[in-house]
Amino acid sequence: MATYQLYRNTTLGVTLQDTLDEMISQGQLTELAASKVLSEFDRSINVALDKRINKKVQFSGKLSTYRFCDNVWTLVLKDFSVKESNNPGGHATNTTTSQIPKADKVKIVACDGKSALQS
Amino acid sequence: MDYSPSFIDPHSHQNDQYASPLSLPPSATPRSVAPRDETHANTTNETRFFHRPSVASKKSVPADMGPPSAVTSYHLSSVAPSTPFSVAPTPVTPRTVDASRVQPSLQNIVSTVNLGCPLDLKRIALQARNAEYNPKRFAAVIMRIRSPRTTALIFSSGKMVCTGAKSEEDSVQAARRYARVIQKLGFQAKFLDFKIQNMVGSADVNFKIRLEALQLKHATYCSYEPELFPGLIYRIIKPKIVLLIFNSGKVVLTGAKERREIHEAFELIFPILKGFRRVG
Repeated sequence: MATYQLYRNTTLGVTLQDTLDEMISQGQLTELAASKVLSEFDRSINVALDKRINKKVQFSGKLSTYRFCDNVWTLVLKDFSVKESNNPGGHATNTTTSQIPKADKVKIVACDGKSALQS
Repeated sequence: MDYSPSFIDPHSHQNDQYASPLSLPPSATPRSVAPRDETHANTTNETRFFHRPSVASKKSVPADMGPPSAVTSYHLSSVAPSTPFSVAPTPVTPRTVDASRVQPSLQNIVSTVNLGCPLDLKRIALQARNAEYNPKRFAAVIMRIRSPRTTALIFSSGKMVCTGAKSEEDSVQAARRYARVIQKLGFQAKFLDFKIQNMVGSADVNFKIRLEALQLKHATYCSYEPELFPGLIYRIIKPKIVLLIFNSGKVVLTGAKERREIHEAFELIFPILKGFRRVG
């Protein structure tokens, strides 16, 4: 079973796809191989986010609407704000706090991570 | 201790229909759990002191103070205006709650309604807001609205259960709002056979209760297994209501189809509970 293709829209996923497209156009890679790389990306990014990230952030907001269907939670939060926790594990110098601005409305789509890893 | 004049308070006419030899003076109840006699004595003294200067109240007043309170309150209120101290009623307003006037309040109403058309639950879950649908767990869409704050279970048969309303009107209105949501998604939803299935009320009698004694005396109606559940389960036959009675004096009444039944049941149980009051 294929895993979620959620992370293909991230910077990492997009650049990977660009590169693959480029290689295909130059004839260095077949379409089949490229799609295999992408599905490996889908799988390994889940592992990486699960095992190799230890930074924690907190966010808060008021729940405006929610939905649970097909094992996916969709949450719309109002007055959303992100807080970085005070002890970022390992990384001593972190000045990224201001990088995440406050938002009036944020939509969170959450899938079941466990079933994503198993499959 | 300045609450005694609540006897003269116009509100104390509330006692009239609930007069009973066991009823507490209005002043005794809301906050203090003190033994009845003690509070009673206090009130009487206070009142006596208070009325001494007035000609009208005489010596008979303290004697009148005892229950049945209905009579007393009547007398006093008729006397009060003629005395120079008729200002008295004012400071006492917060103390008008009488034990015998403890009323159960509705906590939950469960109603059902038939929307009269088969529903595609998955589509509802995807399109409507605040919906949960997990067919592996439960074969209905769970939907919530904020006003009236309720939860609905919507089944593919088109039947719906609405829970959480605190009044009959809220329950109907909430059910209608859910039906409207379904309609807006393009279903031919109607609003058939709305029925209130259950009502739950609760009350606090403000004194502790000897559940063991109650269980012994009313064994036919009671089930009390403190090791299984701390409350005593009391089944009234008519109206057919089940009560959970807790040692703290809190009472939950359930099984009613109408508000009236909750009140009837409470009127029945309250004198009984007073008889099993835990003193001290």
